[in-house]
Amino acid sequence: MKKPHPIAKVNQPGTPIPASGTFPVFSTWDGRLIDRRDGRSRTDRGTCPDRFRDLPFRGLMAWNGIVLREEDTDIPSLTYAYLREARKISCGECSVCMIGIDRVMEIFRRFMDGKGTRQDLKEIAEIAHEVTVNGKCNFGRSAALVPVADAVKWFRSSFLALIRGEKRLFNHGYESAVTAPCIEACPAGLPVTAYIEKIKNFQFQESLALIRSKCILPGVIGRACTHPCESACVRRKVDETVAIRLLKRAVADQDLKEGCTPLPLPKVKKKEKICIVGAGPAGLAAAYHLRLMGYAVTIFDSLPVMGGMAAVGIPDYRLPKDVLLHETGLIRRMGVEVLLNRRIEHLKWDEWKKRGFKAFFLSIGAHRGADIGLAGENDIVEGFEQGIDFLREIQKGHSGIKSAHKVFILGGGNVAIDCARSCLRLGCNRVEILYRRSRAEMPAMPEEIEAALKEGVKIRYLTAPLRVICKWGRIEGLECIKVRLGAPDAGGRRKPIPVEGTNFILKADRVIAAVGQEIDMSFLTEKDKKLLFQGGKIFVDPVSCRTNKEGVFAGGDCVTGPATLIEALDMGNRAARSIDAYFQGKGFDEMRIFEGIDTASQRGGVFFPERRVAGEPSLEGRGRLDDFAEIERGFTQAEAMEEARRCLRCYRLMVWEVEKSRQETTQGRGK
Amino acid sequence: MIHIQIDGRSMEAKEGTTILSLAGRLHIPIPTLCFHESLSPFGACRLCTVEVKRGKKWELTTSCDTAIGPEMVIRTDSPAIRKSRKMAAELLYFKYPGTKLIRDTAEKLGVRVKKSQENSRDCILCGMCVRTCREVVEVNALRFEDRGPDHPGEPPRIGYIGDSCICCGACAFACPTGYIRMEPYGDENRRVIWDRVFEMAACRICGRRFAPLAQLEYLSRKAGLPLAQFMTCISCREAESQTRMVDEKDWISCHA
Repeated sequence: MKKPHPIAKVNQPGTPIPASGTFPVFSTWDGRLIDRRDGRSRTDRGTCPDRFRDLPFRGLMAWNGIVLREEDTDIPSLTYAYLREARKISCGECSVCMIGIDRVMEIFRRFMDGKGTRQDLKEIAEIAHEVTVNGKCNFGRSAALVPVADAVKWFRSSFLALIRGEKRLFNHGYESAVTAPCIEACPAGLPVTAYIEKIKNFQFQESLALIRSKCILPGVIGRACTHPCESACVRRKVDETVAIRLLKRAVADQDLKEGCTPLPLPKVKKKEKICIVGAGPAGLAAAYHLRLMGYAVTIFDSLPVMGGMAAVGIPDYRLPKDVLLHETGLIRRMGVEVLLNRRIEHLKWDEWKKRGFKAFFLSIGAHRGADIGLAGENDIVEGFEQGIDFLREIQKGHSGIKSAHKVFILGGGNVAIDCARSCLRLGCNRVEILYRRSRAEMPAMPEEIEAALKEGVKIRYLTAPLRVICKWGRIEGLECIKVRLGAPDAGGRRKPIPVEGTNFILKADRVIAAVGQEIDMSFLTEKDKKLLFQGGKIFVDPVSCRTNKEGVFAGGDCVTGPATLIEALDMGNRAARSIDAYFQGKGFDEMRIFEGIDTASQRGGVFFPERRVAGEPSLEGRGRLDDFAEIERGFTQAEAMEEARRCLRCYRLMVWEVEKSRQETTQGRGK
Repeated sequence: MIHIQIDGRSMEAKEGTTILSLAGRLHIPIPTLCFHESLSPFGACRLCTVEVKRGKKWELTTSCDTAIGPEMVIRTDSPAIRKSRKMAAELLYFKYPGTKLIRDTAEKLGVRVKKSQENSRDCILCGMCVRTCREVVEVNALRFEDRGPDHPGEPPRIGYIGDSCICCGACAFACPTGYIRMEPYGDENRRVIWDRVFEMAACRICGRRFAPLAQLEYLSRKAGLPLAQFMTCISCREAESQTRMVDEKDWISCHA
């Protein structure tokens, strides 16, 4: 059996979880005290995240405080284990944090030698205070010694016992985990703080290697990501968020400029062959990781290019195709067999298995535009199309848009915005988006909406199309109705309600529907459809990406519905590990340790000098509507290094003593 | 110009100035270790801390990299500031007790320091060399290494990229403790810095070894001029420039 992930053990039956009434015995989480030791019951508005109930620890020390499940946890030993881990993260850039930790550890060693005094405890508290108020980065200020100060304050008797020589430091079996708010926010869990640190220190190659470990298309993601990491950035509270996406892009661009590093080649060769259907981000990520593990990988794709939605769904002004071509080419050069222009009409598993494929990864994406459900929709021959088809046609080089056309785009997502801005670039300047809710509800990225408006796209809010009017099979216009917003529906979005008698007609030459995408499942037999699909999407186990069929895995848009590139990459990464586990006959379980814990919360206010984003990374003017040239300029190397210095290094460290039942297995590790 | 208050003094100041440079102009003494006027502020030594009022609370910040903002209230001396500076100096002294610069600084800030004549010239990670190389020389041959969670165990240090180094010696000049040294290697024909030996170029006229070859190559690359043009030492170049006045054609042919 595969050794379970240390934390994953919780999910297995049989692990006792103490009743909620006694948990926690002690907590200083967020600086609020819960103290139930020795039958005391002091709570100073104290709460601690519910998530801790599920984690199998006896005592835990983290950036935000101490939480104990069992009263007899050996605090001095835990503190020492915490210091050892904190020392690894401390960068040594400022004089207080790393040296402060060194000094405290030195004091601990003095305790062990029997040379400690009560005065030393005071010194630990003083050092902890100094690091908290005068450290350079957020790790020093909010995490490095905060729980150590708590320990000295609330467990004084244990430390005194240590000084008197009645106690010693032991390794009771400790585990640790490190994260940061940006890493937690990233669907693929990219080591954001670490790669930014590398950029800051002029180690672009090392930075690229770190990014590639989780994101195999850095240049693509650096351009087209929805960057949830930036929304979580703690720097926001000081001035502006760190431009994480552009930093990633800078690393990728720099590599391209310097002649590009190839991807690592597999060190071992494995006999199993894996078939991947769809060369989109999910398929490519899975292909890269599986190939790196040594498997033989074959990718099929119906499109003539690799990249899936990144290739045919994102216009060139946001993502120049040479970047994508370069990055997909690198994966191909690792020895991944890529068969393009191969549309799988009917998937017959037996036939494929005869060809030697032992596992399948379906990442077919969601490339079919959703029907809009308009009266007269099916009568149209000309002038009406799906947004996603329209973008694909542009990539192929024929769009059929004329400059005199009046174009209406239905929908409020990123595809709608992409279609509108593409139309402008094709010379057509009468482009209007019809959206049935208001600006606040629009699912497209705010900066994209802003840019579209700036470029001259008009958006009509609270307008719903009712009927397409056509003549001789050609579109003539749209009948619309005004709507108002009602109560929020199950999804939390406010439902549009038509206002009676406000019908009106808009004259239109082209109508592009971009109201969502569906998964094309025509290649499967009825039996397989029933087995694999649920609610129009492929149903998988959310962690292991396994479908209901043995040996078949799936990921990307065909599982999640239209989603982001980075989510697709994450599923591809995970599926690769899961497929590897499947071949080795192991189970696959992976849990995000910090899920459900607010990593943004930290104790005490922090003062950081303001420093604005380096450089203006967007091209203005210069006739940007003339062609599909990339709008964003990106950082130069120097600007990227300057920008990386704005990172506050909000590392969050957690060290815990594992439960007794697990101690035998961890003996000998750690200290 | 914006209005601020520093040590109880109301005044107008230019926006964007750092607290440290403003204090310098007002002759308010603030201790520093990693600061240099020619380099970007780094905030490593944590000795230049001052307090800035936010709401009703005074908050510590480093004066070298904090720019003044409108209506900022600053004070450069308080028990908390003194305590913090002293603690930072104490920690530095704990780590580098053998370095004279650290001993002197710590002593000035009130740390009890053992008298000693020793000077072990430690690297105190002030980053002066890295910044000089990056910002003044623009070569990027130095960087910080072994930092962050993927380098457990290794102490942080200054990384040296020998291929980029031009042996200009600016880092040795900037180093406040004498950790970096540039010395002759054997004879005058070679020089060593960061454990790398550099060949000194000979003047093509007088034959004197006058500058590291790597440096001349860098200058030639940067200026976009042939290397031969840089292979003359200063004294010979002076003599040569007079000839240049006399016969331009001749000068061109001799550099072709």
